[in-house]
Amino acid sequence: MTLQQEQWATRIGLVLAMAGNAVGLGNFLRFPVQAAQNGGGAFMIPYIIALLIMGFPLMWLEWAIGRHGGVQGQNSTVGMFDKISKLKIAKYLGILGVFIPFTIIVYYLYIESWCLGYSFFSLIGKYFGIFSREEMSQFLKSFQGIQTSSHFSGLWVAYLFFLLTFALNMWVLSKGISKGIEWLAKICMPLIAVFGLILMIRVLTLGTPNPSEPNQNIWNGFGFLWNPDFTKLGDAKIWLAAAGQVFFTLSLGMGAIPTFASYIKRKEDIALNAVATAAANETAEVVFGGSIAIPVAFAFFGLSETIAIAQGGAFDLGFQSLPIIFQKLPLGEIFGLIWFFLLFIAGLTSSVALLQPPIAFFENELNLPRKKAVTLVGATLFLCAQPVIFCLEHGFLDELDYWVGTLLLVVFALIEIILYLWLYKKENIWEELKIGADFKVPKIFYFIMKYVTPVYLFALLGYWFYKDGIGVLTMDGVNAEDVPFRWMARTLMLALFVGIAFVIWTNPRRKKGKLTE
Amino acid sequence: MNLGGWILLILTWSVVLTLFFYSFYKILKK
Repeated sequence: MTLQQEQWATRIGLVLAMAGNAVGLGNFLRFPVQAAQNGGGAFMIPYIIALLIMGFPLMWLEWAIGRHGGVQGQNSTVGMFDKISKLKIAKYLGILGVFIPFTIIVYYLYIESWCLGYSFFSLIGKYFGIFSREEMSQFLKSFQGIQTSSHFSGLWVAYLFFLLTFALNMWVLSKGISKGIEWLAKICMPLIAVFGLILMIRVLTLGTPNPSEPNQNIWNGFGFLWNPDFTKLGDAKIWLAAAGQVFFTLSLGMGAIPTFASYIKRKEDIALNAVATAAANETAEVVFGGSIAIPVAFAFFGLSETIAIAQGGAFDLGFQSLPIIFQKLPLGEIFGLIWFFLLFIAGLTSSVALLQPPIAFFENELNLPRKKAVTLVGATLFLCAQPVIFCLEHGFLDELDYWVGTLLLVVFALIEIILYLWLYKKENIWEELKIGADFKVPKIFYFIMKYVTPVYLFALLGYWFYKDGIGVLTMDGVNAEDVPFRWMARTLMLALFVGIAFVIWTNPRRKKGKLTE
Repeated sequence: MNLGGWILLILTWSVVLTLFFYSFYKILKK
């Protein structure tokens, strides 16, 4: 076993890569929809509170876990958990930090490729001439091969964009941490800021697009998103929605942060870096994400239709409503291109981050060179992504998303807290946070991290399971013809988890369960 | 947008942007 083979070349590169991991499609699509559905401006109160008592503490914890593991030559949570715990089960619990990001990427990559496709369609004006959300929905469905239409003859265009996206991800990852992921972040993160700013300025200067409807102006659009409805604060649902959004947006509980942090030098700061990463993500989310999609939808569609769009969710907003608006703007092709390419690069920086934990796992566990580990992970990903593409209409993607993209993230964060703050006492992880720190994290956060954050996580877990879990488990409301596909998705998840466990269990490099040189 | 909306927007943006510029300033200054 070699210790810390790869490292980040620069501190700013590391912070941008971590921010790239966090900034994704959710910042621009999920956040405004969540805010609009949950009390508008009042949503920001539970959101900021969740950021303080769950977001920052978990960020610091995951950064500390990662650097602590990296110093011992471990870049995936399998090895990290194994090193700090005498429990034989610890390394198997660490599988979640490899399994979750890999399973997310199995479907996330396909969604990312839609953004690339729509960037191209915007540029050539392919969806121009479609002026209703229903028709735009048909356009999307025919692109995905779910419906037939005059726009696409089958799935091959979507598949082509998937192949391009897949190849780009693999190419970046094959270059390594500093020459691949860090290089990408240094290009993409400033681009996201520039594109976000261009779109925001365009939105702010829209005024009243339709003078015959003076109430449909951009400031009322901001009002739709920001005017507070404080009566909603009494509803526990809003608090849990805010906590869920903070969890997703910071990419917590996915295993990517500990893996990225494991490539940091021992004496380098993690306390301030974690704050900078979260702040960059929040800027993208609250400033850009809150100023583009919903306000512009309000200014063009008006109150009642924007309510329907917000209820319809993130994809309705991003892929069906905004393409209609771009057609009504001068240089709409360019603004459409900027919007979808912004989503694409935000997705790209997240997808390479999610693929790094499984690559690191194979490098550590089997001592594979990077290129071989990338090939192995890439080949598995390619195979696993096929049913997502070809069985999309049967809910294959939705099934994966519920289990790994929602429930297991919270479970994994709870495991991290229990292992590192409740069970692990030899070298307190709180002390790890202080090493090289550019500022002193107030001690109160130790208590928040240890006692308050898990209560919040248990509440989230309990609520989600109560609200959707039983229904999802029993496939309530699922069409009979979709049931086999849902089971296929579950079988795939089980096979992946068992497959990773099998690699650990049968690894000849392990003696009595522990990795040897 | 009503006064409550403006207050919440300005407060939230102030917190987020202050954190962003302060943390990046400290990182880049080093």
